[in-house]
This record gives sequence, C-alpha cells and structure tokens, in this order.
Amino acid sequence: MPFIAVVDDEESVRKALRRLLRAAGLEAESYASGQEFLEQAAQREPDCVVLDLHMPVMSGRQLLPQIRKLATRPPVVVITAHDTPDNKEECLAAGACAYLRKPLEDRVLLNAISAALRANASGAKR
Amino acid sequence: MIAQKLTLKALQVNAGAALPALAVALGYYLAARVGFAFTLQPDPISTLWPPNALLMAALLLSAPRSWWVLLAAALPAHLLAELQSGVPLAMVLGWFASNCSEALIGAGLVRAFVRAPVRLDSLRNAGLLLLCGGLAAPLASSFLDAGLVKLIGFGEGEYWTLVRTRFSANVLAAITIVPLVLAWASWRPAAVRATPPAHRVEVAALFVGLLAVSLLAFDLPLFGASLAPALWYAPLPFLLWAAVRLGVIGTASALAVLVVATIWGAVQGVGPFTGDSPQDTARDLQLFLIAASVPLLLLAVALEERSRAEREAHEQRLQLTHLSRVAMLGEMSGGLAHELNQPLTAILSNAQAAEHLIANKTIDNNELREILRDIIAANQRASEVIRRLRALFKRGETYLERLDANELVRETLSLAQGDLATRSIAPVLKLAPGTLAIQGDRIQLEQVMLNLILNGAEAMAAHTAVERTITVRSAGNDSWVYVSFADRGPGFAPELVEKLFEPFYTTKPQGLGLGLSISRSIVRAHGGRLWGASHASHGASFHIALPAVRSH
Repeated sequence: MPFIAVVDDEESVRKALRRLLRAAGLEAESYASGQEFLEQAAQREPDCVVLDLHMPVMSGRQLLPQIRKLATRPPVVVITAHDTPDNKEECLAAGACAYLRKPLEDRVLLNAISAALRANASGAKR
Repeated sequence: MIAQKLTLKALQVNAGAALPALAVALGYYLAARVGFAFTLQPDPISTLWPPNALLMAALLLSAPRSWWVLLAAALPAHLLAELQSGVPLAMVLGWFASNCSEALIGAGLVRAFVRAPVRLDSLRNAGLLLLCGGLAAPLASSFLDAGLVKLIGFGEGEYWTLVRTRFSANVLAAITIVPLVLAWASWRPAAVRATPPAHRVEVAALFVGLLAVSLLAFDLPLFGASLAPALWYAPLPFLLWAAVRLGVIGTASALAVLVVATIWGAVQGVGPFTGDSPQDTARDLQLFLIAASVPLLLLAVALEERSRAEREAHEQRLQLTHLSRVAMLGEMSGGLAHELNQPLTAILSNAQAAEHLIANKTIDNNELREILRDIIAANQRASEVIRRLRALFKRGETYLERLDANELVRETLSLAQGDLATRSIAPVLKLAPGTLAIQGDRIQLEQVMLNLILNGAEAMAAHTAVERTITVRSAGNDSWVYVSFADRGPGFAPELVEKLFEPFYTTKPQGLGLGLSISRSIVRAHGGRLWGASHASHGASFHIALPAVRSH
C-alpha cells in the first residue's frame, strides 16, 4: 500500500487530509513542519508527499528541493491556500509534479497522487 | 383682466409662501399686542417693539422674491392692532411704512453679506446680524419713524427724543427676537428624541431656575430699590449656563425669559427698574438688556462654532481611521483568502473522507462523531474570521470597553495568520500570564496591532531573514500595559525613528504612509504612547504603552 506523507502546519487541514487519504485506502501520515518531516522521513521515506506551500520557519518552497534530494526521490504534490501564478511555475520548475489549490476536491487530490505514483514508478523502472 | 392674471400667477408662484404669510400675520398681530403691553405709562413709552423684528426674522428666513407677500400679510395685522388703540389712519400707515423699512433694511443688509440660509452658526454671521439687523436697520428706520410722527403731528415730544426711544425699543427687539426666531426655525423635533434624559432635566432646571430668579429679582416687590444694582446680576449665572451648555437656541430663549421678566416688572412698577420718569426707566432697562444680550449671544455662538469645529474634526479623524483600516484590509486580502481557505479545506476533506468511509462500509459512529466535530470546529473558525473582518470593515463611533491586551493580541494574530502564513512568518507569543486589563476601543486597538504586525511582516518580505518571526510580548504593572512587536527585518536608520510616524511618510512602494501616524493618534487618544526602536542586525520593534485598568 503506497505511503503518503502530508506536510501542513495547519492542524485541522493536516488531520482532514490524513483522514481522507486513509479512507481512500492509502497509508498516510502527517507532519506539522518541514523539520518534523525531514526527521521522520529518515526512518521511512514516503512514496509521495502532499506539501503545503505556506508554512512558517521552513516554507514548502524551501522544503521541496530537500524532498527531491531524498534517496527515493518521492514525487511531491504541492497544495496551497494562497496561490499566485508565479508560485505555480516556480514549484513545477523545482520538481513538484502537481500544484493544487485549497480547498481540495478528493478526486483532484487522489488523481494527482496516483498520477504522481505512476510517473515515479515508471521513472524508477527506467 | 391682465392685472388679475398677473395676481393669479403671482399667487401660484407664491403658493408655498401661504403658510409663512399666515404665520407672519398672526405673529405680527401678537407681537404688536406684546409691544402695547410693554408700554410704560403715563406717557406711553415703548420698551420693546417686537413686530418689526419678527418681520425681519421672517424675511431672513424666506427668499427675497416672496418678501412682498410677507409684508402684505403683515398689513392687515398691523391695521387690526393699531386701529384698536385709536391712532389716526395716516399715522398707522406711516408706522407700517417705517416698520417695514426696518425689516427690509435689516434683512437686505444681512442677505447682502450672508449667504442663505441665514444661520447663527458662526461669529461672523452673528456679528453681521447684530450690526445690520440690530443696529443699522433700527437706526435708519427710527429717523423715518420720528419724522413721520412729527409730519403727521401725532403725539408730543421732541424729534430727537422720539428717535432715541424708538431706536432703543427697536434695537432691543431686533437683538432678542431675530436670533430667537432664527434659532427656533432650524430646530427639529427629532433633536428632542435624540436628547439624553439627563440633558432634558438640565434644560428644565435651567429654565425653572432662571424664571424663579428673574421673577424674584424683577417682578416681586420683595426687595427695596436699594438692592437694585445687585439684583441685576442675579440671572447672570443661569444665562452663562445657557450660553455654555445649550447653544444659541438655549441662550436666545433664556434671554427672552429675562427680557420679558424685566420689562414686565418695570411695567408693573416693581423691581429695580423704576426710574424717575418712564423715559429714564425705559432707557435703563433697555441698556441693561442690550448689554446683557449681545455678549451672551456672541459667547453662545462662539462656543457652538467651536464645538461644531471639534465635532467635524473628530468626524474626519474617524473617517480617516476607518479609511486606513479598510485600505489595510485590502492589502491583506490574499492572507484573508488563505485564512478562509484553510477551514474550507478541512470541512471539505473531512466530509469527503466520511463519504469514502460510508462507501467502504468501514465507518463507525465514533469516527463519524469525530469527523462531524472537526467540521463544526472548522466552520466556527471560518465564521469567526468573517465576524472579525466585518467588525473591522464597519465604520463606527469610538466605543470604550474593558479589554484584555493579551486577548487583543491573540485575536489580531488570528486575523493576520493568513498573511503571515503566506509569507512563511511565524508569530512568537511571549505574553504575560493572566490578563492585562485596559480600557479602549477594541476595533481601533486591533487596527493598531494589525498595522504593526503587517509592517513587521512587510519589513521581512524583501529581506531574507535568518529567522522569519514576529515576536509579540506583553507585560504590565500597576499603571501601564505594554505590548511590543519585534520583527527580524533590516530595521531602520535611527534618524528615521520619528519620521516613520509622520503622515504620508512611507517606505513601501504601495503604502499610503498613514498607518503608523493613525496608529499613534489612536494610541494617544487612549491615553497611551506608541514608539519604535531599531536594533542593529536584528530588526525593528514597535511598542505600545496603554494605561492599565486596575483589576478588582
């Protein structure tokens, strides 16, 4: 079962997304900050990261390249409650495979995650 | 036929003047009766002649094109009043001409200098009214009046004596009645409903007191003539009270009470104004009343003018404060969208998670209950953001209440959270334990705090700060409550420390430069201080000190 990590500083969102992903049959864990994620990821790297862009101290934008440097290079789905056009371009350029606006429709999020997992799997085979 | 048509047309044009004309006719007749009643015997010396003044006030309140209607309406009233006293018709008509001339000269001169509508709302207007209507018009018409008396040969007396007595009776009437009518003409019954009960009690107390003192001093044969000069001043405290507290309308009314009480006593032959001859009595009385009325009336106008200017300045300050608040909210609209999107995300994802669980048939009641609880909490959070936002958008009067400075900080931060989050700035709270009681306007103080937080956030935007935090500290002692906001931006040059608070000084490309200056005036209006400090290498801080409210 694919393991999805949710990184969002907002507790209610974090909890709701984790709940949604688990209800959709995925394994999911959530982290309140970039630091927390990086510490935990050392033990078990996720198959995909759902990453909030705007977080204090270490923003999603700062965390994104570090995730892409992990051993398994997990794909990243960026989510944001405050989107600006240049943010999207920047994130995609930095290696995110999707850029989604909050509030998130479950279909949209789940499709983005499964697309990311597929792309990563085919990338790994190559 | 043509004349008839013209009259008809004129009547149509002046249909709007029908009611005022009727009022003028009635008022003129009653005023003439009062004038007769206020005549000293045995040789009739008029102390106060109100019809001319009433006519002048009526002209001042209406457009010049309908003046003739009002003058025409006064004629039958004049004839009715004067012919009763057995004066020859020629003299009656002569007096009508001189009465009208006073009203016309006064109203015409005032209208030449004061734009309509004529109101006693500035010292300039009041001064012009007293000079033109109260001095020039009675003076000019007195010559005509006395001249006509001599020409027609009615009554006795020297020409100059006649001029003098007519003049002073007309002056007294003009300076007391014209302001009275003008003030009451702009009075609206709605003003009474808006008056707090305490004020109504004050008005009643003032007039009851004034009436009692005036009756005692001028109308009751209680004190001998020896006490006379001292008694003159007995009503003064009440008149000053009226001037200071009740404005022009109250002062003009109080003066009318004084005038009636004084003259009534003299006519009855009691009170301090009982001279050797009616001429002496009338002169003393008139000089006393004129000397009392003019300064008090001007004082009332000056005070009302000043308090209106203060009210306007206050209103403008409120407007500016509101405007800058709205501008600030506009600047942070992105952050506010973020702040609303978070709970919406939680609601949607929770609800859709429940849908998945129901579809999988793996949901249990406990989990469902937890999901619903989270949805409700997120909904309440969104409602709270909207409630607070609406409060900030609203424009209202300053409302002082007892507040907790710590709670204000938390509330403000919850609004700014979205903005801080989009800039990846973490608020750090170092609040004093317990509550820090202050007295203030919640919205205005939140505006100040929001302004300081957003300034700090903006200062760090361009700056790649080591640590993107805004630290909010609070502290308090018996006399002061302190709240400070420290950012980790580049700080500012020490010489700018005061310039930052000047209006229209800004370092932001889109800033108006009003935020800090308005913030400081808000804090000052709360009896507190707002200052800034720059700390080399670790940002700027802004500090609020507000008077502490002792908790019981």
